[in-house]
Amino acid sequence: MKTIEVAALARVEGEGGLYIGVKDGQVVEIRLDIYEPPRFFEGFLVGRYLQEVPDITARICGICPVAYQMSSVTALEKALDVEVSPQVYALRRLMYCGEYIESHALHIYLLQAPDLLGQPSALDLAAIVPDVVKNALRMKKIGNDVLKAIGGRSVHPVNACVGGFYRWPDVAPLKALLPELEWGLEAAKETVRWSLTLPYPDLEIDYEFVAIHHPEEYGVMHGDAWSSKGSKTSVADYEMRYFEEHVQRSNALHGHTSYGGTYLVGPLARLNLNHAQLLPAAQKALKDAKLKLPLKNPFKSLIARAVELVHFYEEAIQLIKAYQLDGPSHLALKLKAGEGCGMSEAPRGLLYHRYKIDEQGMVKFAKIVPPTAQNLPRIEADLFALAPKLVKMEQDVATLTAEHLVRAYDPCISCATHFLKLKIKEVVHVKA
Amino acid sequence: MNILILGIGQSLRGDDAAGLEAVQLWQAQHPDSAAQVQVELSELPGLALLDLLEGMDAAILVDAVQSSASAGTVICLGPDELASFTPDAGSAHGWSVAETLQLGRLLVPSLANCRVTLIGIAGGQFGMGAGLSPKVRAALEKVADMVEREIQNYLK
Repeated sequence: MKTIEVAALARVEGEGGLYIGVKDGQVVEIRLDIYEPPRFFEGFLVGRYLQEVPDITARICGICPVAYQMSSVTALEKALDVEVSPQVYALRRLMYCGEYIESHALHIYLLQAPDLLGQPSALDLAAIVPDVVKNALRMKKIGNDVLKAIGGRSVHPVNACVGGFYRWPDVAPLKALLPELEWGLEAAKETVRWSLTLPYPDLEIDYEFVAIHHPEEYGVMHGDAWSSKGSKTSVADYEMRYFEEHVQRSNALHGHTSYGGTYLVGPLARLNLNHAQLLPAAQKALKDAKLKLPLKNPFKSLIARAVELVHFYEEAIQLIKAYQLDGPSHLALKLKAGEGCGMSEAPRGLLYHRYKIDEQGMVKFAKIVPPTAQNLPRIEADLFALAPKLVKMEQDVATLTAEHLVRAYDPCISCATHFLKLKIKEVVHVKA
Repeated sequence: MNILILGIGQSLRGDDAAGLEAVQLWQAQHPDSAAQVQVELSELPGLALLDLLEGMDAAILVDAVQSSASAGTVICLGPDELASFTPDAGSAHGWSVAETLQLGRLLVPSLANCRVTLIGIAGGQFGMGAGLSPKVRAALEKVADMVEREIQNYLK
């Protein structure tokens, strides 16, 4: 039996390894091993005051802190039966736009594109196409600047709270971002065109796509969890249809549907289920791309991210132009015992939170279901689908191809529980 | 002259916090110097390091390093030595200082005008939890003195 082992996956967030066992020319075992230590966030949130939750959960991830803030505040607001003002909601969407922009620009150009263009790293990519990488860094910086203008800093922003924002961000620094956002919108349109020229490996999977859907806006924070298989699940019923289970070899839970199936969350799911809600420039970019939806190739999630980049630049521009200080930035909270759940679309997929609080607003229970935990079984299944091709490849090419697939998902292993150094080990067991 | 003093490290990973604590110690000991330069502390600057270096004539980065030298050993790498760094192909979610500087040299011509110096403190333990090991803590005074000497060289 031959095994392919990637002891530590590179260019993903968190620490994980990949194991593929081949016997008699057939792949017999595939495991995505998550050995990043368990983070225990759900445990140490218990006993904390509810207003600490958004800033603590934001520390789960340096790439998508806003997602953790937004899923937690919406869950806790549900527990208190409060609804935030339209102005607060709009500012939350703007903050989310910043996160999508920085996360997608990073993943498209610095994490996945090197794979598709046969380069070992973004540094190598920068050496051959410096202007592409320079533009990517500029695009990413704009997202971080939006976060800084609202949340005081570009990574792990603060300011979001249960009931709104601690203070309204100043108007002038936000409006000052408009020229760069306008540049970014054009760069994002070009990113879509460029994304169509990349050489994607052939792989079509009949996924069950799951994403938040809202009829009047591109689903991010409001709406139900729609499945491409037809189910429409409210946030209150999320745990009735989507489960997590412990897998002994992994420090991350694995998600599955109530009938035991795998499902896919993230940009492909959002684009396939929500393309009708894209803003006009993103609609046009999608139409000009002449893509046949649904997109079923996991490698082409890059195209979905590119279309979403157009959308979120466009939305950020609209929101900043409309932004004005109006009314209190946050609600005065009346504490009471309660339970609430919330979900939002992190750049890498649906993120669900549920909390129980007591009458003093102290957390009694916390549950966090990150996107990568939901996608892990699906990534393993995709690797199996790719297996017939993998076994025909040289080992180093097979290893790289498998890694490309994992990276295409933009998995956040730190969230679910980082690829630092790559070790490839071949073990051949010879029968005595 | 625009000078950046940047302390780098994770406060909850043992000796990794040495860069942060050394810059804070220097700041407390030399408030007059600190007032003349830009001081930043960053847990994981990543690619944002390039933004921090924008418009700077000189930058002194203070960071813990993994080294075969014994814990608490202090090294100073000048621009030429840093330029010869060949980073591993690693994580883009967590860009290292050496990788980011190399990317900057490739992409941002203006960075060529910024003299970057790295003061590295060899760490002994990078496990979970706050607190420096005694040998690393004992090195902070020396690092603070080095930071001040470097600044005075620039401000002369």
